[in-house]
Amino acid sequence: MTAPGWLRWAWLAPAIFIVAFLLVPLASLLARVVTPETLDYVADPLPWRVAGLATAQALTSTALALVVGLPMANALTRYRLLGRRWVLALATVPFVLPTVVVALAFRALLGSSLGTGFVIVVLAHAYLNMAVVIRIVGARWSTIDPRIETAARTLGANRWVAFRTVTLPSLGPAIASAAAIVFVFSFTSLGIVLLLGDSSTRTLEALVLRQTSILLDFQGAAVSAAIQAVVVGSVLLWAAKQGASVASGGTRTFRLVQARGAARMAVAAVAMVAVLIVLAPVASLVWASVHSSSGWTAAWWSALFGSTTIDAGSTRIGSPLAAMGRSITFALITGLVAAVVGGLAAMSVLAHRLGRAFALATALPLGISAATLGLGTLLAYGRAPLDLRATGLLVPIAHALIAVPLVVAVATPTLRATDSRLVTVAATLGARPSRAWWTGYGPTLRTVMIAAGGLACAVSLGEFGAASFLARADGPTVPLVIARLLGRPGEASFGVAAAMAVVLVIMTTTLVAAVDRGGRRA
Amino acid sequence: MNDDGGLNLACDQLIVGYKTPLHEPFSFTVEPGSVLAVVGPSGCGKSTLLATIAGITPALGGRVIIGGHEVTQSPTHERRVAMVFQEPLLFPTMNVRDNVAYGPRRAGLPKGQAREKAEELLGWVDLAGLGDRPVDQLSGGQAQRVSLARALAAEPRVLLLDEPFSALDAPLRTRLALDVLEAVQRAGIPAVHVTHDPAEADTMAHGSPSGSILSM
Amino acid sequence: MKRIPVVTTAALSVAALVLTACGSDSTSNSADATDSKDAASGPRTVQLLTHDSFALSEDVIAEFEESSGITLELVSGGDAGSMVAGAILAAGAPTADVIFGVDNTLVTRALEAEVFEPYTAADADALRPALADQTFEGRVTPIDFGDVCINIDDVWFEAAGITPPTTLDDLADPEYADLLVVQDPGTSSPGLAFLLSTVSRYDEGWTDYWQRLLDNGVKIAGSWSDAYYGDFTFGGGGDRPIVVSYATSPPAEIVYAEGEPPQAPSTSVMTDGCYRQIEYAGILAGTDEPEAAQQVIDWLLSPEVQADIPLNMFVFPARDGIALPEVFEEFAPQVDNAEQLPSDFIAQNVNDLLAEWGSVMGR
Repeated sequence: MTAPGWLRWAWLAPAIFIVAFLLVPLASLLARVVTPETLDYVADPLPWRVAGLATAQALTSTALALVVGLPMANALTRYRLLGRRWVLALATVPFVLPTVVVALAFRALLGSSLGTGFVIVVLAHAYLNMAVVIRIVGARWSTIDPRIETAARTLGANRWVAFRTVTLPSLGPAIASAAAIVFVFSFTSLGIVLLLGDSSTRTLEALVLRQTSILLDFQGAAVSAAIQAVVVGSVLLWAAKQGASVASGGTRTFRLVQARGAARMAVAAVAMVAVLIVLAPVASLVWASVHSSSGWTAAWWSALFGSTTIDAGSTRIGSPLAAMGRSITFALITGLVAAVVGGLAAMSVLAHRLGRAFALATALPLGISAATLGLGTLLAYGRAPLDLRATGLLVPIAHALIAVPLVVAVATPTLRATDSRLVTVAATLGARPSRAWWTGYGPTLRTVMIAAGGLACAVSLGEFGAASFLARADGPTVPLVIARLLGRPGEASFGVAAAMAVVLVIMTTTLVAAVDRGGRRA
Repeated sequence: MNDDGGLNLACDQLIVGYKTPLHEPFSFTVEPGSVLAVVGPSGCGKSTLLATIAGITPALGGRVIIGGHEVTQSPTHERRVAMVFQEPLLFPTMNVRDNVAYGPRRAGLPKGQAREKAEELLGWVDLAGLGDRPVDQLSGGQAQRVSLARALAAEPRVLLLDEPFSALDAPLRTRLALDVLEAVQRAGIPAVHVTHDPAEADTMAHGSPSGSILSM
Repeated sequence: MKRIPVVTTAALSVAALVLTACGSDSTSNSADATDSKDAASGPRTVQLLTHDSFALSEDVIAEFEESSGITLELVSGGDAGSMVAGAILAAGAPTADVIFGVDNTLVTRALEAEVFEPYTAADADALRPALADQTFEGRVTPIDFGDVCINIDDVWFEAAGITPPTTLDDLADPEYADLLVVQDPGTSSPGLAFLLSTVSRYDEGWTDYWQRLLDNGVKIAGSWSDAYYGDFTFGGGGDRPIVVSYATSPPAEIVYAEGEPPQAPSTSVMTDGCYRQIEYAGILAGTDEPEAAQQVIDWLLSPEVQADIPLNMFVFPARDGIALPEVFEEFAPQVDNAEQLPSDFIAQNVNDLLAEWGSVMGR
């Protein structure tokens, strides 16, 4: 395949992005913090012990997310189903909810039977991350020819054996990608372990936060953050190696299959279970938003839309509508930036031998704790000579940093599996290299970019950590407003927070469904 | 190849379609070693007929009987009805040999024996030595031959072919048609061959002892 | 090319939303337009770095901006600890001009890092007597104070027919077994305050006290909202009627109630074992608007702001002689003998204290 000239340079934009918004902030921070004595902190057993605990928890969370997410990926991306797009969008919602909200909802539902600790943390992580499995594996699965499994069945394999021996190996890299991302999110989890965990579920992220914001032990924090970065980097490296061993097979997204008979009931059942699982915690939020100590009430919702600001005239919470507008704006910018940067990074994997290493580099932000990233960005871009805070772009940029690896993870397996012969065909028909390349890869690219962009929007809508450092005091996002409401006594605060959480759920579902629709209309 | 002789394929008032019947009910018998060529324009239900015989699509009515046993309610993998499709549909993550060895493996053969069998069949379709090749490095004709070898290696009781040669050039088509006829006779199994080309239907029907043509 | 409409639509909607968001910011700050700190041309801007719990009435801010000609831009630093961490890291080349919300557990670290430019507020002698000498040689100005105290759910205790606890020792009494929830001091500011309170009260024997609490079934929550909304019987329908919270939580209950505010709150404060938290403001060293920053500090200590603080941030004003709102007078006790530890003691020992606490509590 003759790659068009500009493709060789596709890596440049993502590289500049990473250097400017990840490496420069990190360097600013490390230059300020690290001294020769920092090495002594590496001998401290505490961060290593915490790393071990976090690994055990993350492995279990990943296993559960796969068990739950794979059937959903199958049912929701390959079969024709009534309301499929909405179910898919709904399944993305947990990923978006602020972890504070998820933790409280889980506790309301399961707290009395499970208490705090390992089990409920793992359940909450699986709940939050099933969307990752559904999206990443689903995107790849929909490019596998369903007739190949049929062929296997005519050769004596029952449905399960056909799946295991023929489809699963093709899905392998996508599953590895998804598993790696779920592991990383669970390993670096902060909100859930703080609220639902106990001493068996500690993470380095929580340790860094504690060392930074309570102990002001910056050197210890630097060491903990470094250990976390190394673990995350290794996991992502492993996933990338898995991705390397794939034969290019499918050429395009296949039309959805109409399931029949038992399969049809199974698909419907999985879809319903998915909806139930997603909605149960959401239902408890809706309940909390219309209840008070004296029964049913509409007060929380009218506080949201009726008055112009909550807190009647003070600066703290501000206008909920403005916060929603701001969150949507940030989400769209994040989606756009992440789709472009991530898309270029994924394309560079195709064009360059070093491309794979490079795509891996874009995943670095996942291993950098939000506290580190936030503080570093403030040092680099929050003051003279280069103060970018007024542009309002720092939050979406931080969000894009976290979302780009997801975009790359969704796009790369599918792009790699695209049949490059189409490009050759186009070239032989007179298309110049650029046009030929777009003809071959364009449709796939478009579909996965929209899907990935939707995921990036979802990430932005629910992100809390980086936003809390980088948003201006009078310019909070919806998760920040929820957190501020929860930090304030009085049952009105909780009720209004629940109402905003419901709004967040609706916003996400609609946004993701709309983006997906745009993608399918290809 | 097959030791059991005398296994035929019979359809009794078989109604074919997804929700509504696509055709009059089918009733025919195909003797072992013979080919029933099914010919007709695109979209008239020829592929659906094969899918119904193979159990991929449930029948709307009637029966499918193989070697005297009714299989209408059996799942695909129990019917031992191998298919060769219009596209090779080779398993992308396995090499050529493992693709062909797939059927024997499912039948319980250990890996070594299954691979030996695969080599045998690859030799028979003139692809000996290509066992290690990844499937995305085959030409169209080679891939289709691997697909045929793969179907035969599974020692099916019935062989179904759904326009298997339409993507190939004329000499290859003739060559492969003869291969199929020889294989079917050697194995002593009935075969149903779908095509839109009347000349090809002719060749297949008249190349086997009690072959016939079914026009749709 | 069907791709273009999608991209164009996305771009246009982003643009539209950005414009809407800019326009709908209903706060008084026009900070979107003014990000330059040019002192020479036009109005001056002072960036005020605060934490998530900061709140003041918009008209109070607007009035200040009008009378002084200074535009106040609020900058968020996250929670109090993150804010201070950021300020320490940026010391000398600060990300804002004035910082507000450094509390007494963290102030020593900030002072060591030379975060502040000394300035004594114009009305520094109007501070309450207890706070008058808390300026650390004029480098910071106390703005408000609050107490972290045990809160009691009176309704629960009445229904259970038990007299609520009144002292720290009571909390370890078997009569009150399995009724207390506190926050993890490693992750929660009030949690840390409560720990420091016990250290102050019991001195060397504080670990014994915590062992007794552990034996008495104390529950540890990760954060204040977790404990208050999740475990406290009043806030969230939990099962613990005793929680570590603030002396001003009962009035907040009334202010933030839905519909008709109740006559009296159903929670009250246990005044024994409260820990005094003081919040300071200071000018960040290296600011290019020192004069305007001084005006902001003065303004923070002014009667208008001090009177505005209670109902917005639910703490007490540092200035003497400020009339408190009625709900505060009635339901928020002003604790005279709150526990307090010297700031440098805390700075030196907090690491070890947390480690010891962790090993006693098995975390």
